[in-house]
Amino acid sequence: MKPGEFIAIIGRSGCGKSTLLRVIAGLEPATSGGVWINDHPVHHVHAETRMMFQDARLLPWNKVIDNVAIGLRKEDRHKAEAALEQVGLGARANDWPSLLSGGQKQRVALARALASQPKLLLLDEPLGALDALTRIEMQQLIESLWQQQPFTTVLITHDVEEAVVLADRVVLIEEGRIAMDRAVSFPRPRQRGNAEVAAFIDHILKRVLGITEVASRHEAENLPYPLKKGS
Amino acid sequence: MTRRFLSNPFIGKCLPWVLPILLIVVWAILSNLDVISRKILPLPQDVLFSFKDLLLSGKLIEHVSISFQRAFIGFLIGGGIGLVLGFINGLSPIAEKLLDTTIQMVRNVPHLAMIPLVVLWFGIGEESKIFLVAIGVLFPVYINTLHGIRSVDNGLIEMGSVYGLRTASLFWKVVLPGALPSILVGLRYALGIMWLTLIVSETIATNSGIGFLAMNAREYMQTDIILLTIVLYALFGKLADSIAKLLERRFLRWNPNYHN
Repeated sequence: MKPGEFIAIIGRSGCGKSTLLRVIAGLEPATSGGVWINDHPVHHVHAETRMMFQDARLLPWNKVIDNVAIGLRKEDRHKAEAALEQVGLGARANDWPSLLSGGQKQRVALARALASQPKLLLLDEPLGALDALTRIEMQQLIESLWQQQPFTTVLITHDVEEAVVLADRVVLIEEGRIAMDRAVSFPRPRQRGNAEVAAFIDHILKRVLGITEVASRHEAENLPYPLKKGS
Repeated sequence: MTRRFLSNPFIGKCLPWVLPILLIVVWAILSNLDVISRKILPLPQDVLFSFKDLLLSGKLIEHVSISFQRAFIGFLIGGGIGLVLGFINGLSPIAEKLLDTTIQMVRNVPHLAMIPLVVLWFGIGEESKIFLVAIGVLFPVYINTLHGIRSVDNGLIEMGSVYGLRTASLFWKVVLPGALPSILVGLRYALGIMWLTLIVSETIATNSGIGFLAMNAREYMQTDIILLTIVLYALFGKLADSIAKLLERRFLRWNPNYHN
């Protein structure tokens, strides 16, 4: 992985993509192989790694601003305020998390992840539980923040569209192995309705599902691997 | 409709007291009409008179304050030990393996059954009451603290460790606040046990305190004083519960269930 790269990892549930992310985060030991950050092997949680989970995991007993400031030093509190402004929730700083909607909670979680200016941001399906509109808003927010700040991002998702819209590279994992690794080079911001983007999404979706037939001759020629059902 | 009815401040304050006051009124009517024998229930006004007498002679203050002192010290010691044991066993699986079986065995002995032994150990002085109160209060605090720590969301602990919290700050910022609702339930329960233990131990072996007042009155058939002590216990019990509620509201403000 290159610094500053945005990688999306897709795969069916149970294929090991979440485990991979947890190994990268240092939360679980790898059964084989290993993870290196700047040539140092990862054994426990890295100080410059931040993670967003499927649920927001806000501390319900801390005000929103204190949730964002978790892990920051006292004198860095302004960073928390700035991060909260960036996700558009500066006005909710002194509310309890229980008063926020699901999408707002995830935005607070995003602010919390970015407040300490991490080098590596790990996203474990953070948008999976959100409604479609909120999800698109969050995707745009994540993309624009990623463009402003130089952090490497690994996004786990089972939404192929989300992966293609956001990532520089889409990696498919099947049965614990990398089954496909494709660069995505459409210009940003990517339009979902764009024919090429849509065709690319469709192509990857079929690959994930293991469907052999391909939409067009042109596409078939561009496939990196022979497509066979169950391969 | 119900909500609006209850949100009226006057009704909200008065409603809880309607039943106790009604009970006293019925008692006053029945005993003044001689429907109930005075040997069984004294007149309400007699209870008030004896309250006045005891208050003016200074005896009431003396006995109440000694009871309060026992309750408070015993609660502090027992609650403190229960809390610490709960934390140790909740955080360390080794400590739990080592201690929990013993604690559960001791817990299942009714602590009031130890009164004869406690009287032999400490006599009928202060130590015996404080000891009994402490033993009684220890277990509800212990169990609820342990349960509270167990039920802290693992996801939050994991989040805390990804966000750079180390052992001490993880405890103060995540584990303790997460366990607090349960700890406060234990506290409230312990306050009830505290009064119960104190009443029983003061009635059986003592020479001062509210319980002594009641036992002494029994010797002279003074039902009015006995009833007065019962009313006092009821009021103090309510007071303790109110304090516990206040603590819950103060510490659990974040919880939507306590927003009021």
